[in-house]
Amino acid sequence: MDTAVTVLIDWSSAEPVYAQIARQIRSRIASGDLAPGLVLPPVRGLASDLGVNLNTVARAYWLLEEEGFLKIRSRSGAEVTAPLRDADPATVERLRQQLAAALSRMRQAGLTHAEVRQQAEQELAALAGHEPER
Amino acid sequence: MTTEIFVLATLVEVLLIGGIFLLYPRFARRGLLFGVYVGEQVWAGDEAGRITRGWYTGMVVWIALTVLVSAVLWSALPSVALAPLAPILLVVGFLALYLRAYFQARALAPEGPPPPAAAVLTAPPPANPILPFTSVGFGVACGVAALAYAASHYADLPPMVPTHFGLSGAPDAWRPKSFSTVMLLPLMTLVIGVSLGVIAFLTSRAKRALRYPLTEVSVAAQTRFREAMTRYISAVGMMATLMLTLMAISSIRVALGLERGLSPVAMIIAGVLLVAALAGTVYIGLRYGQGGSRLERAASRAPLTDGLADNRYWVLGMFYVNRDDPAILVEHRFGLGYTINLGNWKAVALFILFIGLLIGITVAALVAG
Repeated sequence: MDTAVTVLIDWSSAEPVYAQIARQIRSRIASGDLAPGLVLPPVRGLASDLGVNLNTVARAYWLLEEEGFLKIRSRSGAEVTAPLRDADPATVERLRQQLAAALSRMRQAGLTHAEVRQQAEQELAALAGHEPER
Repeated sequence: MTTEIFVLATLVEVLLIGGIFLLYPRFARRGLLFGVYVGEQVWAGDEAGRITRGWYTGMVVWIALTVLVSAVLWSALPSVALAPLAPILLVVGFLALYLRAYFQARALAPEGPPPPAAAVLTAPPPANPILPFTSVGFGVACGVAALAYAASHYADLPPMVPTHFGLSGAPDAWRPKSFSTVMLLPLMTLVIGVSLGVIAFLTSRAKRALRYPLTEVSVAAQTRFREAMTRYISAVGMMATLMLTLMAISSIRVALGLERGLSPVAMIIAGVLLVAALAGTVYIGLRYGQGGSRLERAASRAPLTDGLADNRYWVLGMFYVNRDDPAILVEHRFGLGYTINLGNWKAVALFILFIGLLIGITVAALVAG
């Protein structure tokens, strides 16, 4: 079984490459596959291995740093940060609104209430077992 | 007698290098057929096997023809000047056979969307570059030492200085003393020593082309291959630098009448270097395979990814051109080692600088001579 944590770029996808990189890293951090303290490859190394522009990887790393998943360490890569101990009320409210918007878009796209719940539970199940220490 | 020895040595070299060329398909990564990505299943199929057998037959015949033609010509016109003929014939035949196989393999290339790109976020970082840095430092030190030695004895040199030495080490060509004729060898020592060290460093950071899934096996194989190539280039670089340094100093001493011929140590190192370079190539090819192909057998049915698997970025299967890829060195699709990304201006600039320095120094010496 392959235990390496891999990021894969689908060139035929409509999703921008930086968003694909950020999404995969984000989900791996949230699921615990990338533990806090782990240092991801430097921008140049990851860009070289993926064959993408340096700015593409840099943009993904900046986005994840803004979201609180990474701390960029200049030339030596980006360190995975641990989840916050206490949820900030303002952040929780902002994320709740984003969640509400996503759920509304799913209903508007034609999913039933049950289907939306199923999708949400699948995503929560992927995060299961990775509870931040409190 | 010297001519016969030289001819024999050249023929042995042709057989050895021809033998390595012959083995190239055995080094290749599964899925790559004579510079074309055909997919892992087609690679193992009957048509691919037919193309590969054609290569083996063609190379054996061509090597034999090269040796035969060269031997006939030398027996008719025994001259050292004919020595380059055999290697040139060999390379011409190699290219012709490769292109024939390439165009046959291209017909097997798959249609469809470009392959995905993959990278491992938990891959080990590149090894400490101390060996390549040592190689660069060694090149600088030896080059500067050779230049300093030549400069410090320049005034004492006679009007005519030796510019070429035979197999016995005795000088067999003389030219009027000039800055170019005296400094050519020390300058080449510096340029070659530093360049090979830089190439070793770039190799240690070369792009990894993984298989997906089973990236863990693939990245481990790639990393080991990259480290082996780095050690090989660093070692060959330092040996070549030492040989050139001893030759540069020895040629000055011959000109001053302090020695009769080139240093025996330099001659020995030259022989060891040739054997080591050839043996190292064969060892890496058979032990690791190109890109670690022999180490990633457990993962070899998983598809290759990214630029190595994308036929759009390869010209004749030999030249990689991808402007979006920041990599300077990428794996060869056919053969052993790495090639530069011609779509990366830094890679092209480095290549032009290296070749330009060598050509410039050589032309300057020829003009001065």
